[in-house]
Formats: sequence, structure tokens, C-alpha cells
Amino acid sequence: MMDDLEKQIKEALAKKEPSPFFEARVLGAVKRQQKEHRASSRLWWASAMAAMLLAITGSVWQHERNVREEAAGKEAKARLELALKITSVKLQRISRKVEGI
Amino acid sequence: MKKFAIPVLLAVLPLAAQEIKMPVNLDKLAAKASEVVDISLDGPLLQLAGRFLSDKDPDEAHVKRLVGGLKGIYVKSFEFEDRNEYKDSDVEELRTQLKAPGWARIVNTRSKRNGDNSEIYLKTDAGQISGLAIIVAEPRELTIVSIVGPIRPEDIRDLGGHFGIPKLDDNPARKDKDKKEENQ
Repeated sequence: MMDDLEKQIKEALAKKEPSPFFEARVLGAVKRQQKEHRASSRLWWASAMAAMLLAITGSVWQHERNVREEAAGKEAKARLELALKITSVKLQRISRKVEGI
Repeated sequence: MKKFAIPVLLAVLPLAAQEIKMPVNLDKLAAKASEVVDISLDGPLLQLAGRFLSDKDPDEAHVKRLVGGLKGIYVKSFEFEDRNEYKDSDVEELRTQLKAPGWARIVNTRSKRNGDNSEIYLKTDAGQISGLAIIVAEPRELTIVSIVGPIRPEDIRDLGGHFGIPKLDDNPARKDKDKKEENQ
């Protein structure tokens, strides 16, 4: 009985040669992992760059829009001032004529 | 039918907004005039201008309130080197439009001596002012103003002395001087 157990333990602990393609499979798995890691890292960087580019483009577009809107607003204000100036002066003159009659 | 209706609608819409249509022959006067001012501020442009008027500056805040409810301001002014560069008939088309229901001429001054003719028209809808038109025809100058929306003439007249608008002197001596200058 003891002999059987001893035999079984010996067999279990005996040095076994790995299968012929074991090393190749391990190295392949490591390489695959490294490749996947590099691909995922590249994807992360690409996403980050795209997000940054989008943010910069958006910010530049918004800035240009604000500049254009400010210029248009100032132009409209200047035109409004001139329109009111002409109208007010004409109305003041008419008012004076009416008062003078 | 739709093909026809859409362009017609698009052509009519700006006219509806402007209320009165500036006659085409006025544009021809621009060629004869030595100075031309042509200002066209529709609703969105007025809103945009309003956004650039300060609430802190009392004059600007007042103008902002004044133009806040307006739908359009249109000004055409021509200055000529010589007298009689334009004819009364150039303005007649406009006067015809101002005879439409709702419009009333509230002021008409005519000076044979100076050849000046000033008219103020008001448009009312349900007892509320909804438009103002001014025609000032002088020998060397023709000015037409059309304002769409609720505005009283005195509101704009009283802007004199504010918002960079000159206030004409009420001093009688100055008035005489002005008259002399006008006669020259």
C-alpha cells in the first residue's frame, strides 16, 4: 500500500520533458499579448489625439465665430447709431419748424 | 403651383417686414448724389446691435429699450451738389404707399421760400403705433426714414444730446442763424 503511494508520488514529481511546441506556444502567447498591448496603447493615444484635435478645432471655430459675431454686432451698432442720429436730427428740425409756425 | 408660390412668398416676406417698400427709382438717385447713406436694419440685425448696447450706460440702455421692440429701421439719405437733382415724382411712389389704410400724416411742413418739405407719417394698428415714416425733401437733400414697430417720433427726437446724437440749439438767435445758413 505504502509502496503504491510512494510510487505514485514519485511518478507525479518525476521530471517530465515539455511537449515539443511548448516553448513556441509560450513565446507566441507572450508576443500576442505584447502586440495587443501595443495596439491598445496606440488606440488610446489615437483617441486622445483625436479628442484633443477636436477640442482645439472646436475652440478655434468658437473663437472665430465670436470674433465674426462681435464685428457684425459692432457694425450693426454703428449703423443703428447713424440711423438714429439722422432720424433724430431731422425730427428735431421738423419739431422746431412746427414750433416756429 | 408650389414652385411658383415659394419664390413669391420669399419675395413678399421682406416687404411685409419693411412695411413700406423703398421705391426702386431712389436707388437711381444714388448715382447723382454726392453723398449717400443707405441703412437697412431688419429685426435680427437690430437684435444683434441691441446685444452690443451696454445696460450700464444710461444712454445706451435707453436706446436698447427703445429699439428692443422694433422690427426694422430703414434710412435712405441723398445729398446733392446742386439744387433740383431729384424730382418730387421720385418720392411720389412712397407717398402713395403711405396713403394705405392705417397710415396717417401727422405733420406736413412746406416752405416755399426754402423749398423744404417735411412729412411725418404714423401707422397705427388697434390704437397702437406700429410704424413711423419720415420724408424730408430739401433742395439739396432728400431723406427717407421708415421704422417698423412701436415708436413715437418724440422718442427719437429726444435722443438729441444723448448717444452721440447732436441736440439742435433751441436758442432763437441760433435758430435765425440756422435759417440764414439754410437760405444760402
